[in-house]
Amino acid sequence: MSGTDYSYDEQGQFFPFFVLTVVGIVTIPLTYSVLKPSSDPGVTAPRIKTDFQPEHADLIDAQRKAQKRRERKLKRGVAVVAGWAIMALMAYLIIVTARTVPKIWNPYDILGLSDSATEKEIKSHYKRLSLKFHPDKIRPDPAKNQTLESLNDYFVELTKAYKALTDEEIRNNYQQYGHPDGKQSFSIGIALPKFIVTDGNGKYVILVYAALLGVLLPYLVGSWWYGTQRMSKEKVLIESANNLFREYSEDITEGGIISALSTGVEFQQTLKGDKAESGLERVESRVLAEGEPFTYVGGLTAKDRTKLEDLEGGVRRKALGLLWGYLGRVELDDTALNQAKIEVAPIARALNASFNAIALAFGSTGPILASFLTAQNLIQAIPPGASPLLQLPYITPAIARAIEGDAKTHLTLQQYMQLPEAYRRKLSVGKGLLTESQYKTAIDLAKQLPRLQVEKAFFKVIGEKYITPGSLVSFVVKGRFVPPGSQNVPEVNELDLEDVDPEEDDLDAILGRQKKTSKGEKLKEDKPVQPPLAYAPYYARNYSPRWNVFLTDSKQGKMAVPPFTFIAFDKPIFDESGKPTFNMQTLKAQFQAPPQAGHYTFVMHLICDSYVGFDTKMEVTLVVDEAAKAAEIEAEDDISEPDEGRSKPTHFTRSNANSTTDSLAGQMNALKTGGLTGPPPKKKKRPVTEESSDEESGTEGEEAEDTSETDTDTDEE
Amino acid sequence: MFDIDWVGLSVPFAYIAVLVGSLITFSSVYRKRKAAQSATLAPWFPPHMQRNVYLSLLHEEPAEGQEKAPKVPESLLRAALLRRAVEDIHRIIQIRSAKQACSTLLQRGSVGDDLWQRFQRAEKEMEEELRDVVMEANALSNNWGQTIFQSANEIAANTVFRKRLDEIQAQTESEKEWWEKRRDSIKNEFLKEIESEALSTPAKTQASKFSSDDDAILVDSPVANEKGSIRKKKGKK
Repeated sequence: MSGTDYSYDEQGQFFPFFVLTVVGIVTIPLTYSVLKPSSDPGVTAPRIKTDFQPEHADLIDAQRKAQKRRERKLKRGVAVVAGWAIMALMAYLIIVTARTVPKIWNPYDILGLSDSATEKEIKSHYKRLSLKFHPDKIRPDPAKNQTLESLNDYFVELTKAYKALTDEEIRNNYQQYGHPDGKQSFSIGIALPKFIVTDGNGKYVILVYAALLGVLLPYLVGSWWYGTQRMSKEKVLIESANNLFREYSEDITEGGIISALSTGVEFQQTLKGDKAESGLERVESRVLAEGEPFTYVGGLTAKDRTKLEDLEGGVRRKALGLLWGYLGRVELDDTALNQAKIEVAPIARALNASFNAIALAFGSTGPILASFLTAQNLIQAIPPGASPLLQLPYITPAIARAIEGDAKTHLTLQQYMQLPEAYRRKLSVGKGLLTESQYKTAIDLAKQLPRLQVEKAFFKVIGEKYITPGSLVSFVVKGRFVPPGSQNVPEVNELDLEDVDPEEDDLDAILGRQKKTSKGEKLKEDKPVQPPLAYAPYYARNYSPRWNVFLTDSKQGKMAVPPFTFIAFDKPIFDESGKPTFNMQTLKAQFQAPPQAGHYTFVMHLICDSYVGFDTKMEVTLVVDEAAKAAEIEAEDDISEPDEGRSKPTHFTRSNANSTTDSLAGQMNALKTGGLTGPPPKKKKRPVTEESSDEESGTEGEEAEDTSETDTDTDEE
Repeated sequence: MFDIDWVGLSVPFAYIAVLVGSLITFSSVYRKRKAAQSATLAPWFPPHMQRNVYLSLLHEEPAEGQEKAPKVPESLLRAALLRRAVEDIHRIIQIRSAKQACSTLLQRGSVGDDLWQRFQRAEKEMEEELRDVVMEANALSNNWGQTIFQSANEIAANTVFRKRLDEIQAQTESEKEWWEKRRDSIKNEFLKEIESEALSTPAKTQASKFSSDDDAILVDSPVANEKGSIRKKKGKK
């Protein structure tokens, strides 16, 4: 090992370091990804409790479990364990082989001195040692395996060490090169075992190298690239997305979307081989059996039926049949078919998300709404246009029909739960209807469903009083979770309806990271609260409900502000015992104001994608003032009442037609007082708003009630 | 002379040859595949039936045993061309409305590249088709090419509108039936109420039943209202 040659790692001293590093680079990030808390809300979100078991609960549960197993990252876990095992082995090897590494030459150790010894001590100590160990003075002791030579060497060592500590030149050598004799030969080691370069092995090494670089690397890059090419942004196969785009039309209905979803290529994977055709006739005969209250048991319309029957046989037709079977909760009397029926729903929901993205890109209100409603239908296993009561356990289409009577429109859950208790019971319990215990389960469940009731919706610009053209407007929706049939819902706290701007220097709050009460006190910062998982007994996945807020222009039938999606809220929805807290939740969406001043009337849609009939639809008006006018009024304000700090900009409350006079008076008052003080009529008006409490759902237009009044007044702080 | 180690020298050349060769094969295979793929892309629109009808009328073949092809009256040709233009209008509208959406979706990665290719091909095809129709129209009568698409557009809009109306009209039967049934059931209920009122002399005992009936009416009335509003909406559309 002399000279400046490269030396290979013959004793395997350094190879472990090399392996340890390489394995560590892979294993440590992998470990993080395995141990990282799952982002899946199904793990942490609370569940809605009920003891209802749907038909084929075993099949549904089995699929839920299978999905969980798929998500468990088993392969990654094994890789991590193997990685750590290799790392441990390498660490062991390092420790074991470290002993063979020669010790660094240390004159103090040789002389038996401590590092802090002074020169005087060194000298005297050396003298004593030289007296003792001088080869002339000492006889070799055969018992100690000593020879003359070894004694001689030992003495030379001692002298060297002494010189290193006392002689100027030798000490320099020691300090610079670590050895009294000056520069030693050094070697550059390569942490590769020698067998790699020995003759005869070269070709294998080249083979491995070629395989790594020429085969494995292109394969990995290629599979990654084509993998990303194959999937769309919404995590469906790109081919399915293309098909969905082709199926899109401006007047598509929910039934049309269901038909469109069956073009998904994903179904070909679940319905492989003979599954594509087997049982197709049975599925169709069951789904298309004439029944009440829909024309067909599957909940199809005549149009949907012709669409289904126009399809050629094969995967698409069967997938569509199964989808209708799922939506209509049709019993197919065959385990494989029932299983397939449950299996198609999650696929269809993923495809529907893709369709939703396509509809959003087109921007027409009709298809967008239809795709949101389809998501609800798929999760709750309810055919389009069927009764929302089917979401409750034990309620079958026939029972829902009996409860609703012969009405053309459906009762929503909240309307049903608002019926007087006795009357509701009379409608629901009886022969051919629910039993007492079933009724109780259903009602208990209904009281747990999170329904977001909008209390107020308005526009504002943070830190400004007026909305000027082109400014960044926040659309603020204040709402409470009021489960259907909740009693003793507290009055709305006026202060909760305010949206106080954060302090100007409070960057965190401006960026929406902190919440404050209206009094300006800081709440303790807690993490966002997840709503309970969607109650969807027929849907074979855990699904966390999402709320979407978007604005549409009703005159053009176009979307004005794309949806903002909310999956978590800032305040608890239910307390520990499962009682609703009726906390005021704030949803905010930001967008750019139109470039021209004027009044813009939008229709706000608040849609939960997991429950049918919980949608809110109301009109809101955005008043955009001329920039000059806003500046003028602000200047006036400054003169008249400089203390008036941040007060709320123009806001819009929803009010009934009969409160028009109130708000007119309010406006007059506001004009008189220069728009500085909150007009008293407002106080009177609010309870009215609450009474009417947004009971409408998105599917029902209540135009008469939806007239919103514009208040250009401001509230006192 | 130098003693050249030919074997040793061949190794780097072989290396370069293999490298370049594999790159060339890859590129040619890749391109061929791409070309084959884009050649087999499904067309955006189904076969253009109206155009086929027009063209077959225009190039009428003489029937067997006859020397001359039967003369197609010009009015028939014009009608066929107008039909063709109407279908073109439908397709243009589809393409115009889809263009923006398709390009944004492509940018976002929500749809694939081949969809965009198909779309662009369809767009080009439509341009050619329009030009062809204008030329044919001019050939049939002077300067018709300038106005044919205007009339086609009006025809197309009218058809769409009429179709909508028909759909709404088609519902009348079932609606009528339902309202008849509803009226009967309400009538029966009232009759029953009156009967029960007449039968029971102490009216007070019936109070409880009354209240429930009131509820029933209360429940029904908003339903009827909502219906009205839905009707209104449909009318608006």
